[in-house]
Amino acid sequence: MTSFSFNLIKNKNKIYGFSSILILLSLIGILYSTFNTSFKKPINLGMDFIGGNELRIERSCKEECENISPDAVIEKLKTFSNNKNFINNIKLQIQNNNSLISIRTSYLTIEESNDLISNVDKILGPLNYESKNTRIIGPKLGKKLLTNCATSLLVSLFAISLYISIRFDKKYALFALLALFHDLLIVFGIFSWLGVLFSIEVNSLFAVSLLTIAGYSVNDTVVIFDRIRENLKKNSDNYNKTIQISVNESFRRTFFTSITTLIPLLTLIIFGSYSLFWFSVSLTLGILIGSYSSILLAPSFLIKD
Amino acid sequence: MKRRQGWLFFIIFLLTFSIYLLINFPLQLGLDLKGGSQLTLQLVKEDGKVTKEELEAVNAVLDKRVNNLGVAESNLQTLGRDQLILELPGEQNPLSASRILGKTALLEFRTQKDNTSSQLKNLQLQRLKINDLIEQFKIGDKRNEETSLLLIDDLTKIENDINYSSNNQQLFERLFETKKYISNEIANLFNKTDLSGKDLINAGRRQEQTNNNWEVSLSFSNDGGNKFAEITKSIAGTDKLLSIVLDGESISEASVGSQFINTGITGGAATISGNFSAENARELEVQLKGGSLPLPIEIVETNTIGPLLGSKNIVRSLYAAICGLIFVGIFMIFNYRILGFVSVISLIFYGFFNLALYSLIPVTLTLPGIAGLILSIGMAVDANVLIFERIREELINGNTLIRSIDSGFQRANSSIIDGHITTFVSCFVLFLLGTNFVKGFAATLGTGVVISLFTSLNCSKTILRFLTTYQSLRQKNLYLSKSNPL
Repeated sequence: MTSFSFNLIKNKNKIYGFSSILILLSLIGILYSTFNTSFKKPINLGMDFIGGNELRIERSCKEECENISPDAVIEKLKTFSNNKNFINNIKLQIQNNNSLISIRTSYLTIEESNDLISNVDKILGPLNYESKNTRIIGPKLGKKLLTNCATSLLVSLFAISLYISIRFDKKYALFALLALFHDLLIVFGIFSWLGVLFSIEVNSLFAVSLLTIAGYSVNDTVVIFDRIRENLKKNSDNYNKTIQISVNESFRRTFFTSITTLIPLLTLIIFGSYSLFWFSVSLTLGILIGSYSSILLAPSFLIKD
Repeated sequence: MKRRQGWLFFIIFLLTFSIYLLINFPLQLGLDLKGGSQLTLQLVKEDGKVTKEELEAVNAVLDKRVNNLGVAESNLQTLGRDQLILELPGEQNPLSASRILGKTALLEFRTQKDNTSSQLKNLQLQRLKINDLIEQFKIGDKRNEETSLLLIDDLTKIENDINYSSNNQQLFERLFETKKYISNEIANLFNKTDLSGKDLINAGRRQEQTNNNWEVSLSFSNDGGNKFAEITKSIAGTDKLLSIVLDGESISEASVGSQFINTGITGGAATISGNFSAENARELEVQLKGGSLPLPIEIVETNTIGPLLGSKNIVRSLYAAICGLIFVGIFMIFNYRILGFVSVISLIFYGFFNLALYSLIPVTLTLPGIAGLILSIGMAVDANVLIFERIREELINGNTLIRSIDSGFQRANSSIIDGHITTFVSCFVLFLLGTNFVKGFAATLGTGVVISLFTSLNCSKTILRFLTTYQSLRQKNLYLSKSNPL
């Protein structure tokens, strides 16, 4: 009756191999990021965690905004500013046909940040203040946020583990959690690489996405394990075969729910605000990997040689 | 069957109630959707252990200051054990608010110590000089290296005179640090008295008649008035001065004339004239009205969003949410036909119930909150897919439609509940430990999970039961897609 058939028993080693490669690549990314980059962290921590000042503002040009190189702007800023310290660490981008300015600096006071905006206005003005977005995060808060996020992650992973081990017997619980850590490690690794290669940073929403992925991945695995248990009760003669059948029976469901979750995420990536972009990307990756691990990897653990 | 009809009426009632709620209690939008400033304030204590009472006391003082700021609909809340969040809708420049809130504003009245006149005069002179330098700096051409070199020269002279050197590399900061040091030193030449900001009942400000400077007027309580009279009496007619000290810095020193030698200055009022600008005077007035903070605070985060950006964010999120719903709906109807149609209807119910719950609790809708809502659409459909797959299997196995529906719901039950609980656990932890930003996401995803449990298990079932009462809708092939995808 199953409309899908996949030979899990035969392909078990391929699945292990594939996951091992992904994990290895992630670990390499994490190690490379820790030892070989300027930030010396497993992942490129963003402003939320290290503090700093971020400014985004649009230029209000009559027709097309004139082209001006970021370096030239920084040079000019140097001559305008009282406080020249932050200029050394400034990151300035001009996007959207020269109309959107985004600036990142180290921590500034509100006063210094206002000065910066008025200096930018002198160079690139007039600016559209209605579209302004500034964020200033003190270094102390950053550290606090980082510990906060780490605790949230650990506490909820612990809570989920606890729930799973009450709900299932030890073996199932262990495998569900292994699949979960596999997913989190790979998403983390991908973002380590993104940090190394494209200086993509992670903020507190990244931690949130990891937590959401954790919930989703466990949920997915639970559904399949439920089906396996149910089928094993009915037919315990051929253990491996029953697992394979259960996986094939659940395949449509996992595939469909992944799609119905991915659709809203893709619309968020396309239409959503820029501050949600990388959040949506990491959720999308997590759901893809989570679906793979729950339908193929987790049941493979159960297959006996 | 009758029980199901009861459910149908109940669901329709809930829907009407939700719409009523949404019309009468519109959703609260966060600052990232309507524009404004948000400040995160951190209480500073050396051992880091802020008690609940201290947090409340700080909250009370700040609340008074915030009310005197004059920003409509401002909102101050505690966050965690040692933080406060202040929202100032529409405010685009939080500088003045941050200055008013950030100061401890501990006001003291001190009398001069014996034999300190020459030291005081010297320090007062240095303070005049540094004020002058600050003025020069403010109006000066900052690009001109020569002017700043001259300023640095003068500053170094002052620093040598008072045996102080600021470590700060920035001229601007150095000027202020030196000024602060001088004001501290002046305050140290005075003895503390028992009169303080606690003895005030009101504060005001007015422009001085002789020049453009502002002064701040103080009204003491009865007790405070008596204390003030005592203090002024003790130094009246002598060469000792009275100093008004704010946060350890002397802001004004004054002599008390000999005519007050018998009674002191009575009447319970005083003025501070210390070269205030209109803005500085207003800041001090607000601070004094609110009283001093029991613990110092630090502004650790500032977030300012322009109104245009806010409305853009709303439009973008709406697009994302609506497109998400439409595409998910198309996908479901394509794959599950009538069942898909049922899930679309229950998704619409789901949307309304969610929004109604936001206005009931109330949940303030922010960008991450909307992300949580959009994501929860996917999770709500997840439950439907689980059920429908079971129904489909039962149908393929040759069961009747009604039986298939019943056992489909029944057998998918435990998986659905498990899945919802794990997601809810994550949300709960996020809500407890997360920052304000994160809380928005946790709140919408969390309520979404709870409501989805109701709509997917109950609404879908009720609607499905209702539809199957029509003979024409009972054909099996309306529930099975002809081609089996995959």
